[in-house]
Amino acid sequence: MTSTPDNSDPADLDALAGEYVLGTLNGLQRRALEQRLPHEPDLQAAVDRWEARLLPLNDLAPAQQPSERLWPRIERSLNALNVPAPPTQASTRWWNLLPLWRGLTAAGLAATLALGTALWSATPAISPPAYVVVLVAPQSQTPGWVIQANDREHIQLIPLGVAQVPSDKALEFWTKGDDWAGPVSLGLVKPGQVLSLPLDRLPPLASDQLFELTLEGPNGSTTGKPTGPIQFIGRAVKVI
Amino acid sequence: MSHLQRRNTVTLPEPIFDYEACLLACARGEQQALVALYAQESARLLGVAKRIARDSALAEDIVHDAFIKIWLRASSFDPGRGSARGWIFSLTRHMALNAMRETRLEIQVSENSELALQPLATLDGRLQTQDPLHWPDGCERIYGCLEQLDPARRSCIVHAYVDGYTHAEIANKLDTPLGTVKAWIKRSLSALRECMG
Repeated sequence: MTSTPDNSDPADLDALAGEYVLGTLNGLQRRALEQRLPHEPDLQAAVDRWEARLLPLNDLAPAQQPSERLWPRIERSLNALNVPAPPTQASTRWWNLLPLWRGLTAAGLAATLALGTALWSATPAISPPAYVVVLVAPQSQTPGWVIQANDREHIQLIPLGVAQVPSDKALEFWTKGDDWAGPVSLGLVKPGQVLSLPLDRLPPLASDQLFELTLEGPNGSTTGKPTGPIQFIGRAVKVI
Repeated sequence: MSHLQRRNTVTLPEPIFDYEACLLACARGEQQALVALYAQESARLLGVAKRIARDSALAEDIVHDAFIKIWLRASSFDPGRGSARGWIFSLTRHMALNAMRETRLEIQVSENSELALQPLATLDGRLQTQDPLHWPDGCERIYGCLEQLDPARRSCIVHAYVDGYTHAEIANKLDTPLGTVKAWIKRSLSALRECMG
Protein backbone atom coordinates (compact mmCIF):
# COMPACT_ATOMS: atom_id res chain seq x y z
CA MET A 1 0.00 0.00 0.00
CA THR A 2 1.39 3.38 0.93
CA SER A 3 4.84 3.75 2.42
CA THR A 4 4.30 1.66 5.49
CA PRO A 5 6.77 1.85 8.33
CA ASP A 6 9.12 -1.11 8.44
CA ASN A 7 7.16 -3.39 10.69
CA SER A 8 7.71 -6.25 8.33
CA ASP A 9 9.83 -7.83 11.06
CA PRO A 10 7.69 -10.77 12.24
CA ALA A 11 7.99 -9.76 15.91
CA ASP A 12 6.91 -6.18 15.18
CA LEU A 13 4.10 -7.41 12.99
CA ASP A 14 2.92 -9.71 15.72
CA ALA A 15 3.11 -6.96 18.35
CA LEU A 16 1.08 -4.64 16.12
CA ALA A 17 -1.49 -7.36 15.49
CA GLY A 18 -1.69 -8.03 19.22
CA GLU A 19 -2.33 -4.38 20.06
CA TYR A 20 -4.95 -4.18 17.31
CA VAL A 21 -6.87 -7.18 18.61
CA LEU A 22 -6.42 -6.09 22.21
CA GLY A 23 -7.94 -2.73 21.23
CA THR A 24 -5.15 -0.35 22.24
CA LEU A 25 -4.51 1.18 18.83
CA ASN A 26 -6.10 4.58 18.27
CA GLY A 27 -8.64 5.23 15.52
CA LEU A 28 -6.10 6.23 12.89
CA GLN A 29 -3.84 3.28 13.63
CA ARG A 30 -6.80 0.91 13.57
CA ARG A 31 -7.93 2.19 10.22
CA ALA A 32 -4.43 2.06 8.76
CA LEU A 33 -4.04 -1.53 9.91
CA GLU A 34 -7.46 -2.57 8.61
CA GLN A 35 -6.53 -1.19 5.23
CA ARG A 36 -3.34 -3.24 5.19
CA LEU A 37 -5.01 -6.52 6.16
CA PRO A 38 -6.37 -7.49 2.72
CA HIS A 39 -2.93 -7.00 1.17
CA GLU A 40 -0.72 -8.51 3.85
CA PRO A 41 -1.40 -12.17 4.55
CA ASP A 42 1.28 -12.33 7.28
CA LEU A 43 -0.34 -9.49 9.17
CA GLN A 44 -3.77 -11.03 8.68
CA ALA A 45 -2.48 -14.37 9.96
CA ALA A 46 -0.98 -12.66 13.02
CA VAL A 47 -4.31 -10.91 13.68
CA ASP A 48 -6.18 -14.21 13.30
CA ARG A 49 -3.89 -15.89 15.82
CA TRP A 50 -4.43 -13.08 18.33
CA GLU A 51 -8.19 -13.21 17.81
CA ALA A 52 -8.14 -16.92 18.63
CA ARG A 53 -5.90 -16.43 21.68
CA LEU A 54 -7.94 -13.66 23.27
CA LEU A 55 -11.43 -14.75 22.21
CA PRO A 56 -12.25 -16.52 25.53
CA LEU A 57 -11.89 -13.15 27.33
CA ASN A 58 -15.23 -12.16 25.81
CA ASP A 59 -16.81 -14.42 28.42
CA LEU A 60 -15.81 -11.80 31.02
CA ALA A 61 -18.40 -9.39 29.64
CA PRO A 62 -21.74 -10.22 31.25
CA ALA A 63 -24.40 -11.14 28.73
CA GLN A 64 -27.08 -8.54 28.28
CA GLN A 65 -30.58 -9.29 27.05
CA PRO A 66 -31.35 -7.10 24.02
CA SER A 67 -34.46 -4.95 24.09
CA GLU A 68 -37.49 -6.29 22.25
CA ARG A 69 -36.98 -3.63 19.64
CA LEU A 70 -33.62 -4.89 18.44
CA TRP A 71 -34.55 -7.90 16.33
CA PRO A 72 -37.47 -6.15 14.56
CA ARG A 73 -35.06 -3.35 13.75
CA ILE A 74 -32.52 -5.78 12.29
CA GLU A 75 -35.30 -7.44 10.33
CA ARG A 76 -36.46 -4.12 8.91
CA SER A 77 -32.94 -3.32 7.79
CA LEU A 78 -32.60 -6.76 6.20
CA ASN A 79 -35.88 -6.31 4.37
CA ALA A 80 -34.73 -2.92 3.17
CA LEU A 81 -31.69 -4.59 1.67
CA ASN A 82 -33.89 -6.97 -0.29
CA VAL A 83 -34.91 -5.83 -3.72
CA PRO A 84 -38.62 -6.56 -4.33
CA ALA A 85 -38.15 -9.55 -6.64
CA PRO A 86 -35.69 -11.81 -4.85
CA PRO A 87 -33.37 -13.62 -7.21
CA THR A 88 -33.16 -17.39 -7.07
CA GLN A 89 -29.39 -17.28 -6.74
CA ALA A 90 -28.52 -15.47 -3.53
CA SER A 91 -24.89 -15.28 -4.51
CA THR A 92 -25.64 -12.90 -7.34
CA ARG A 93 -27.31 -10.26 -5.18
CA TRP A 94 -25.40 -7.08 -5.54
CA TRP A 95 -24.87 -6.51 -1.87
CA ASN A 96 -22.92 -9.72 -1.59
CA LEU A 97 -20.20 -7.73 -3.26
CA LEU A 98 -20.06 -5.40 -0.27
CA PRO A 99 -17.15 -7.23 1.34
CA LEU A 100 -15.16 -6.43 -1.74
CA TRP A 101 -15.93 -2.76 -1.32
CA ARG A 102 -14.44 -2.47 2.08
CA GLY A 103 -11.32 -0.43 2.04
CA LEU A 104 -11.44 0.12 -1.67
CA THR A 105 -10.89 3.52 -3.19
CA ALA A 106 -13.56 5.23 -5.21
CA ALA A 107 -11.98 3.86 -8.35
CA GLY A 108 -12.08 0.38 -6.91
CA LEU A 109 -15.73 0.84 -6.15
CA ALA A 110 -16.51 1.63 -9.74
CA ALA A 111 -14.73 -1.55 -10.80
CA THR A 112 -16.75 -3.54 -8.28
CA LEU A 113 -19.97 -2.17 -9.63
CA ALA A 114 -18.92 -3.14 -13.12
CA LEU A 115 -18.37 -6.66 -11.84
CA GLY A 116 -21.80 -6.62 -10.25
CA THR A 117 -23.32 -5.62 -13.55
CA ALA A 118 -21.59 -8.53 -15.25
CA LEU A 119 -23.05 -10.91 -12.68
CA TRP A 120 -26.58 -9.65 -13.18
CA SER A 121 -26.49 -9.95 -16.88
CA ALA A 122 -26.42 -13.71 -16.37
CA THR A 123 -29.71 -13.65 -14.45
CA PRO A 124 -32.17 -11.55 -16.44
CA ALA A 125 -35.19 -12.36 -14.21
CA ILE A 126 -33.96 -10.08 -11.43
CA SER A 127 -34.87 -6.43 -11.28
CA PRO A 128 -31.75 -4.93 -9.74
CA PRO A 129 -31.52 -1.30 -8.71
CA ALA A 130 -31.02 1.01 -11.63
CA TYR A 131 -28.67 3.29 -9.72
CA VAL A 132 -26.42 2.72 -6.75
CA VAL A 133 -24.54 5.26 -4.68
CA VAL A 134 -21.97 4.23 -2.12
CA LEU A 135 -21.51 7.00 0.42
CA VAL A 136 -18.05 6.86 1.92
CA ALA A 137 -16.35 8.84 4.66
CA PRO A 138 -14.19 11.44 2.87
CA GLN A 139 -10.98 10.63 4.72
CA SER A 140 -11.03 6.88 5.13
CA GLN A 141 -13.19 5.98 2.13
CA THR A 142 -15.02 3.62 4.46
CA PRO A 143 -18.50 2.92 3.09
CA GLY A 144 -21.11 4.16 5.55
CA TRP A 145 -24.35 4.17 3.58
CA VAL A 146 -25.68 2.85 0.31
CA ILE A 147 -28.37 4.44 -1.80
CA GLN A 148 -30.25 2.24 -4.21
CA ALA A 149 -32.84 3.34 -6.70
CA ASN A 150 -35.02 1.00 -8.70
CA ASP A 151 -36.18 3.87 -10.85
CA ARG A 152 -35.17 7.50 -11.26
CA GLU A 153 -37.91 8.92 -9.02
CA HIS A 154 -37.33 7.05 -5.75
CA ILE A 155 -34.26 6.38 -3.69
CA GLN A 156 -33.62 4.31 -0.62
CA LEU A 157 -30.87 5.21 1.84
CA ILE A 158 -29.48 2.22 3.75
CA PRO A 159 -27.00 2.45 6.63
CA LEU A 160 -24.03 0.07 6.68
CA GLY A 161 -22.28 1.17 9.84
CA VAL A 162 -22.68 3.06 13.08
CA ALA A 163 -22.71 6.73 12.17
CA GLN A 164 -21.70 8.67 15.25
CA VAL A 165 -23.48 11.98 15.62
CA PRO A 166 -22.90 14.26 18.62
CA SER A 167 -26.12 14.77 20.60
CA ASP A 168 -26.42 18.43 19.63
CA LYS A 169 -25.99 17.72 15.91
CA ALA A 170 -27.95 16.05 13.15
CA LEU A 171 -27.08 14.41 9.84
CA GLU A 172 -28.56 16.22 6.86
CA PHE A 173 -28.91 14.52 3.50
CA TRP A 174 -28.17 16.50 0.33
CA THR A 175 -28.05 15.95 -3.39
CA LYS A 176 -26.82 17.95 -6.33
CA GLY A 177 -27.04 17.20 -10.04
CA ASP A 178 -24.21 18.20 -12.34
CA ASP A 179 -25.96 21.26 -13.73
CA TRP A 180 -27.79 22.37 -10.61
CA ALA A 181 -26.98 25.70 -9.00
CA GLY A 182 -26.41 24.15 -5.59
CA PRO A 183 -27.18 21.21 -3.34
CA VAL A 184 -30.79 20.54 -2.31
CA SER A 185 -31.67 19.18 1.12
CA LEU A 186 -33.41 15.81 1.30
CA GLY A 187 -34.00 16.22 5.03
CA LEU A 188 -32.51 14.94 8.25
CA VAL A 189 -31.35 11.34 8.66
CA LYS A 190 -31.03 9.43 11.90
CA PRO A 191 -27.97 7.16 12.26
CA GLY A 192 -29.02 3.60 11.49
CA GLN A 193 -32.24 4.72 9.82
CA VAL A 194 -33.39 3.24 6.53
CA LEU A 195 -35.04 5.97 4.52
CA SER A 196 -37.18 5.79 1.39
CA LEU A 197 -37.54 9.07 -0.41
CA PRO A 198 -39.46 10.19 -3.49
CA LEU A 199 -37.51 12.59 -5.69
CA ASP A 200 -40.74 14.07 -7.04
CA ARG A 201 -39.71 17.67 -6.44
CA LEU A 202 -36.43 17.15 -8.22
CA PRO A 203 -35.20 16.25 -11.68
CA PRO A 204 -34.94 12.46 -12.22
CA LEU A 205 -31.87 10.80 -10.77
CA ALA A 206 -28.91 10.92 -13.12
CA SER A 207 -25.48 9.35 -13.32
CA ASP A 208 -22.83 11.16 -11.32
CA GLN A 209 -25.45 12.97 -9.25
CA LEU A 210 -23.81 13.90 -5.96
CA PHE A 211 -25.16 12.74 -2.59
CA GLU A 212 -23.74 13.67 0.77
CA LEU A 213 -24.48 13.65 4.48
CA THR A 214 -23.25 16.64 6.44
CA LEU A 215 -23.18 17.39 10.13
CA GLU A 216 -25.57 20.24 10.90
CA GLY A 217 -27.40 21.76 13.85
CA PRO A 218 -30.17 19.68 15.47
CA ASN A 219 -32.81 21.12 13.11
CA GLY A 220 -30.64 20.99 10.03
CA SER A 221 -28.85 23.75 8.19
CA THR A 222 -30.43 27.15 8.76
CA THR A 223 -29.16 28.55 5.47
CA GLY A 224 -30.68 25.91 3.19
CA LYS A 225 -27.18 24.94 2.08
CA PRO A 226 -24.72 22.53 3.70
CA THR A 227 -22.67 24.32 6.34
CA GLY A 228 -21.12 21.53 8.39
CA PRO A 229 -18.41 18.97 7.61
CA ILE A 230 -19.17 16.23 5.09
CA GLN A 231 -19.54 12.88 6.85
CA PHE A 232 -20.29 10.70 3.81
CA ILE A 233 -20.23 11.43 0.12
CA GLY A 234 -20.73 9.58 -3.15
CA ARG A 235 -21.98 9.82 -6.71
CA ALA A 236 -24.72 7.87 -8.44
CA VAL A 237 -23.60 5.05 -10.69
CA LYS A 238 -25.94 3.57 -13.28
CA VAL A 239 -25.73 -0.18 -12.98
CA ILE A 240 -27.30 -1.44 -16.17
CA MET B 1 -29.27 -20.00 26.25
CA SER B 2 -28.63 -17.50 28.98
CA HIS B 3 -25.18 -16.85 30.27
CA LEU B 4 -26.01 -18.46 33.60
CA GLN B 5 -27.39 -21.55 32.03
CA ARG B 6 -24.31 -21.91 29.94
CA ARG B 7 -22.02 -21.67 32.91
CA ASN B 8 -24.00 -24.24 34.84
CA THR B 9 -23.79 -26.79 32.10
CA VAL B 10 -20.11 -26.38 31.49
CA THR B 11 -19.31 -30.00 32.34
CA LEU B 12 -21.93 -31.24 29.91
CA PRO B 13 -21.43 -31.16 26.18
CA GLU B 14 -22.02 -27.68 24.78
CA PRO B 15 -25.43 -27.29 23.17
CA ILE B 16 -24.77 -27.96 19.55
CA PHE B 17 -24.97 -24.87 17.43
CA ASP B 18 -23.17 -25.12 14.16
CA TYR B 19 -21.85 -21.60 13.64
CA GLU B 20 -20.17 -22.46 10.40
CA ALA B 21 -23.32 -23.99 8.90
CA CYS B 22 -25.18 -20.93 10.13
CA LEU B 23 -22.85 -18.57 8.24
CA LEU B 24 -23.07 -20.72 5.13
CA ALA B 25 -26.87 -20.54 5.31
CA CYS B 26 -26.69 -16.75 5.75
CA ALA B 27 -24.46 -16.56 2.68
CA ARG B 28 -27.16 -18.47 0.79
CA GLY B 29 -29.67 -15.84 1.86
CA GLU B 30 -31.52 -17.97 4.43
CA GLN B 31 -32.75 -15.41 6.90
CA GLN B 32 -33.83 -18.12 9.35
CA ALA B 33 -30.16 -18.84 9.98
CA LEU B 34 -29.63 -15.28 11.14
CA VAL B 35 -32.69 -15.56 13.38
CA ALA B 36 -31.16 -18.66 14.95
CA LEU B 37 -27.84 -16.92 15.44
CA TYR B 38 -29.61 -14.01 17.08
CA ALA B 39 -31.38 -16.36 19.48
CA GLN B 40 -28.10 -18.08 20.23
CA GLU B 41 -25.70 -15.18 20.65
CA SER B 42 -27.39 -11.77 20.69
CA ALA B 43 -27.23 -11.45 24.48
CA ARG B 44 -23.55 -12.30 24.64
CA LEU B 45 -22.71 -10.10 21.66
CA LEU B 46 -24.66 -7.25 23.21
CA GLY B 47 -22.76 -7.84 26.46
CA VAL B 48 -19.45 -7.50 24.63
CA ALA B 49 -20.59 -4.37 22.78
CA LYS B 50 -22.12 -2.77 25.87
CA ARG B 51 -18.97 -3.22 27.88
CA ILE B 52 -16.95 -1.38 25.23
CA ALA B 53 -19.57 1.18 24.21
CA ARG B 54 -20.58 1.90 27.83
CA ASP B 55 -24.06 2.83 26.65
CA SER B 56 -27.03 0.53 26.06
CA ALA B 57 -28.47 2.38 23.08
CA LEU B 58 -25.12 2.62 21.31
CA ALA B 59 -24.46 -1.06 22.10
CA GLU B 60 -27.75 -2.00 20.42
CA ASP B 61 -26.82 0.12 17.41
CA ILE B 62 -23.55 -1.77 17.20
CA VAL B 63 -25.21 -5.18 17.46
CA HIS B 64 -27.77 -4.12 14.84
CA ASP B 65 -24.97 -3.15 12.49
CA ALA B 66 -23.05 -6.30 13.38
CA PHE B 67 -25.95 -8.55 12.40
CA ILE B 68 -26.37 -6.69 9.11
CA LYS B 69 -22.66 -7.06 8.49
CA ILE B 70 -22.71 -10.76 9.42
CA TRP B 71 -25.54 -11.19 6.92
CA LEU B 72 -23.79 -9.25 4.18
CA ARG B 73 -20.35 -10.70 4.74
CA ALA B 74 -21.16 -14.28 5.70
CA SER B 75 -19.90 -15.44 2.32
CA SER B 76 -16.47 -13.98 3.10
CA PHE B 77 -16.02 -16.14 6.20
CA ASP B 78 -12.99 -18.39 5.73
CA PRO B 79 -12.90 -21.40 8.07
CA GLY B 80 -9.19 -21.70 7.40
CA ARG B 81 -8.64 -18.48 9.32
CA GLY B 82 -10.47 -19.31 12.52
CA SER B 83 -13.73 -20.45 14.04
CA ALA B 84 -17.07 -19.15 12.84
CA ARG B 85 -18.04 -18.15 16.36
CA GLY B 86 -14.76 -16.28 16.72
CA TRP B 87 -15.41 -14.49 13.43
CA ILE B 88 -18.82 -13.33 14.69
CA PHE B 89 -17.47 -12.08 18.01
CA SER B 90 -14.40 -10.43 16.49
CA LEU B 91 -16.52 -8.66 13.89
CA THR B 92 -18.86 -7.29 16.56
CA ARG B 93 -16.08 -6.35 18.95
CA HIS B 94 -14.12 -4.48 16.29
CA MET B 95 -17.26 -2.60 15.27
CA ALA B 96 -17.66 -1.53 18.88
CA LEU B 97 -14.00 -0.51 19.13
CA ASN B 98 -14.17 1.38 15.85
CA ALA B 99 -17.33 3.17 16.95
CA MET B 100 -15.62 4.28 20.15
CA ARG B 101 -12.37 5.30 18.46
CA GLU B 102 -14.23 7.14 15.69
CA THR B 103 -16.16 9.16 18.27
CA ARG B 104 -12.90 10.18 19.78
CA LEU B 105 -11.47 11.14 16.43
CA GLU B 106 -14.24 13.64 15.94
CA ILE B 107 -13.48 15.30 19.23
CA GLN B 108 -9.73 15.19 19.26
CA VAL B 109 -7.58 16.57 16.54
CA SER B 110 -4.23 15.58 17.90
CA GLU B 111 -3.35 12.08 18.96
CA ASN B 112 -1.46 13.56 21.87
CA SER B 113 -4.54 15.09 23.35
CA GLU B 114 -5.74 11.61 24.22
CA LEU B 115 -4.84 12.33 27.81
CA ALA B 116 -7.28 15.19 27.89
CA LEU B 117 -10.19 12.84 27.31
CA GLN B 118 -10.98 11.23 30.59
CA PRO B 119 -14.64 10.35 30.91
CA LEU B 120 -13.73 7.82 33.57
CA ALA B 121 -15.74 9.36 36.38
CA THR B 122 -18.86 7.87 34.84
CA LEU B 123 -17.30 4.45 34.55
CA ASP B 124 -15.85 3.83 37.95
CA GLY B 125 -19.00 2.45 39.45
CA ARG B 126 -19.37 -0.15 36.77
CA LEU B 127 -15.77 -1.22 36.96
CA GLN B 128 -15.85 -2.27 40.56
CA THR B 129 -17.40 -5.51 39.39
CA GLN B 130 -14.24 -6.25 37.42
CA ASP B 131 -12.17 -8.71 39.34
CA PRO B 132 -9.65 -10.43 37.10
CA LEU B 133 -9.23 -13.25 39.61
CA HIS B 134 -12.77 -14.44 39.09
CA TRP B 135 -12.39 -16.03 35.73
CA PRO B 136 -15.35 -17.74 34.13
CA ASP B 137 -15.49 -21.50 34.42
CA GLY B 138 -13.64 -23.42 31.81
CA CYS B 139 -10.11 -24.42 31.12
CA GLU B 140 -9.25 -21.88 28.44
CA ARG B 141 -5.53 -21.55 28.13
CA ILE B 142 -5.61 -17.78 28.20
CA TYR B 143 -6.63 -17.76 31.86
CA GLY B 144 -3.72 -19.91 32.92
CA CYS B 145 -1.37 -17.61 31.03
CA LEU B 146 -2.96 -14.48 32.49
CA GLU B 147 -2.47 -15.92 35.97
CA GLN B 148 1.25 -15.89 35.33
CA LEU B 149 1.24 -12.13 34.77
CA ASP B 150 1.69 -9.60 37.52
CA PRO B 151 -1.85 -8.51 38.65
CA ALA B 152 -1.47 -4.93 37.44
CA ARG B 153 -0.35 -6.11 34.00
CA ARG B 154 -3.18 -8.61 33.93
CA SER B 155 -5.60 -5.75 34.62
CA CYS B 156 -4.18 -3.83 31.68
CA ILE B 157 -4.97 -6.71 29.33
CA VAL B 158 -8.47 -7.23 30.70
CA HIS B 159 -9.34 -3.53 30.74
CA ALA B 160 -8.11 -3.16 27.17
CA TYR B 161 -9.80 -6.23 25.74
CA VAL B 162 -13.03 -6.38 27.70
CA ASP B 163 -13.62 -2.71 28.51
CA GLY B 164 -12.11 -1.30 25.35
CA TYR B 165 -9.98 1.11 27.36
CA THR B 166 -7.32 3.16 25.64
CA HIS B 167 -3.79 3.27 27.00
CA ALA B 168 -4.61 6.61 28.62
CA GLU B 169 -7.76 5.31 30.27
CA ILE B 170 -5.90 2.35 31.71
CA ALA B 171 -3.15 4.66 32.97
CA ASN B 172 -5.79 6.79 34.63
CA LYS B 173 -7.64 3.81 36.06
CA LEU B 174 -4.52 2.19 37.50
CA ASP B 175 -2.97 5.52 38.44
CA THR B 176 0.16 4.56 36.56
CA PRO B 177 2.20 6.62 34.07
CA LEU B 178 1.10 6.25 30.47
CA GLY B 179 4.53 5.11 29.30
CA THR B 180 4.60 2.38 31.92
CA VAL B 181 1.18 1.13 30.86
CA LYS B 182 2.24 1.02 27.23
CA ALA B 183 5.37 -0.95 28.11
CA TRP B 184 3.42 -3.33 30.36
CA ILE B 185 0.95 -4.08 27.63
CA LYS B 186 3.65 -4.66 25.05
CA ARG B 187 5.50 -7.06 27.34
CA SER B 188 2.33 -8.76 28.53
CA LEU B 189 1.28 -9.47 24.94
CA SER B 190 4.69 -10.89 24.29
CA ALA B 191 4.46 -13.06 27.42
CA LEU B 192 0.98 -14.26 26.44
CA ARG B 193 2.22 -15.22 23.01
CA GLU B 194 5.10 -17.18 24.54
CA CYS B 195 2.76 -18.89 26.97
CA MET B 196 0.03 -19.73 24.47
CA GLY B 197 2.11 -20.38 21.40
